[in-house]
Amino acid sequence: MTAPLYIALRFATHRKRALLLSLVGVVFGVGIFICTQAQTQGFAEFFIDSTIGSNGALVVRSRFQPRYEGLVVPSKNVNALPARRNYFEGVHNVSEIMRVSRQFSNVVACSPVLRGNVSARSGFETATVELFGIDPPSHLRATDLAKQIIDGKFDDFTNNTSAVILGYRLAEQLEVGCGDSIQLLSPGGEYWRFVVAAIARSGVGTIDSTRVYAQTRAAQRLLKKPYEASMIIYKLRDPYRAPALETHFENLFQHSSQSWQEREESTLQLFIMLRLSVAITVSLMILLAGFGIFNVLTMSVLSKIREIAILRSMGYRRIDISAIFLWQGALIAGVGSLLGCVLGAAMTLGISKVPIHIRGLLYTNHFLVVWDWRHYFWATLLAVVAVFIASYVPAQRAAHLQPVDTLRGSSL
Amino acid sequence: MKGDISLSCRELERYLGEEEERVHALRGVSLEVEAGSLHAVVGPSGCGKSTLLYILGLLDTPDAGSLEISSTQIADLSDEELARRRNQLIGFIFQFHFLMEDFTAQENVMVPMRRLGRLSEEEMGERAASLLAAVDLGDKLRRQSRHLSGGEQQRVAIARALANDPQVILADEPTGNLDTNNSQRAFDLLANIVREREKALLLVTHNRSIAEACDWVHEMKDGRIIASHPRGARSSTS
Repeated sequence: MTAPLYIALRFATHRKRALLLSLVGVVFGVGIFICTQAQTQGFAEFFIDSTIGSNGALVVRSRFQPRYEGLVVPSKNVNALPARRNYFEGVHNVSEIMRVSRQFSNVVACSPVLRGNVSARSGFETATVELFGIDPPSHLRATDLAKQIIDGKFDDFTNNTSAVILGYRLAEQLEVGCGDSIQLLSPGGEYWRFVVAAIARSGVGTIDSTRVYAQTRAAQRLLKKPYEASMIIYKLRDPYRAPALETHFENLFQHSSQSWQEREESTLQLFIMLRLSVAITVSLMILLAGFGIFNVLTMSVLSKIREIAILRSMGYRRIDISAIFLWQGALIAGVGSLLGCVLGAAMTLGISKVPIHIRGLLYTNHFLVVWDWRHYFWATLLAVVAVFIASYVPAQRAAHLQPVDTLRGSSL
Repeated sequence: MKGDISLSCRELERYLGEEEERVHALRGVSLEVEAGSLHAVVGPSGCGKSTLLYILGLLDTPDAGSLEISSTQIADLSDEELARRRNQLIGFIFQFHFLMEDFTAQENVMVPMRRLGRLSEEEMGERAASLLAAVDLGDKLRRQSRHLSGGEQQRVAIARALANDPQVILADEPTGNLDTNNSQRAFDLLANIVREREKALLLVTHNRSIAEACDWVHEMKDGRIIASHPRGARSSTS
């Protein structure tokens, strides 16, 4: 043990109450930082997992044709952005695109979907729904639909071409359950009858309140579409690399592509803002604790002026004196961060057991949390930086005290 | 004077304060302290005794003049180097003992050793114990310094000054805060140790009998040494 560390420990034990208060500030700051980050990220990740599990990490949509601007007469309004593409509805050469895209290492599975909006009717209840015409085996591989079934059987849907799967909130709205029938209105004005084979819950409110899954052939006939897929959805090994693949697919297939990050941009920004807001608020707590430490150490320096002069007279360097007070800060930061991490983990565990009833943007019956080592790292780093800054000024002040002034003053 | 010179200074000059408050505290002070000898500096308050002591103890730097400790010229050294030499070459004893109050007697004596860093924890403890035994405090090693009497505290300070076996011991009114008995006892102890261990002692004192018991007495006035005389001989100017 170095001499400054030994003396720092002795000085620290001398001012137990003041240091304990500083320690409590750091412990709670770190603990609450971890807990709040675990919660906000928990809700965000639940949303991300749910939306990727239902709508895929990447979607390839309409075919486009680059517009040759050399033939376009320039607009008088120079600020007007020229349309650089002509879009054609539907995916062309679905099989070929799927075959080629499966060659990419990041692609786990892909599934063609024929999408359209129709009206649904059951008894006296009606609703506008988003119809997904799917190929059941492909869709099972590319999404979490099988896991999302909360009532009925997926096989009943697969084996019956006039069967549908409904989102659970839509089923509640239409007041139907498994085995009941609903009617979907075709663009030609005819009602088609379907049997509800299963009810699914993705956890995302907008999906659960509008989504109807039907088999591709039935959807194609109902929607009267000439093509078999209006989009292909992809399951990726690393969803966070979806934007790179999106650009690549656009160039390769000449179809518009959209990653989940782009698709859910506004919701994701909301989560990011929430996390940032909470992080800033809790960081202020840690900074406040740092201010407390600054006061405690400044008082400690003032009360130890005599000891500092003694140490200097015995050959302790300025850097040793500075180290004594920095070590005290480091001890608070170290012990505070460690206990704060334990408190943060305990609070995160506790909060994950708290029952809540959320049925809006997300569906959950308890607080959602994420266990991520980065929360602990950032909380610790924040505490260490705050405490170091708080300790540095008093430490420098102590180091630059002139021992002669103290000794001369005391000996008079 | 005889023996090896442990501490010497030549023509030390020191100004204190700024502008109108500027005081010429030391005016060409020169002296030599040889190993195994006791030197006393006497004089009225404000004559520059403590200023001289702090410069010799490397706690302050002179505006002019030279200083040599244990045959090493001390000039233009960094603060870090001065601290290192202070730790190795000099032991300080102050009027108010200046112990670390929350430390035990043994821990106080170990403080300079910790900075030097040459001994293990166990060796430091043993050396501190033997030094405290030498000042008759062998039975109070683990007593907190605040719970020791004034005389005992000053003896701990003497043991601490010897912790790193320095060649030079500087004492600023070492008996100034003690009663007559404790004063004499502390001085006798210090004198014996200095003579037995061949240290050089320079002490500042107002106590005439203590000063007269030293090998040399240097009388200061207005920043100058106006007279130096060996034990038993009184200067005509004093």
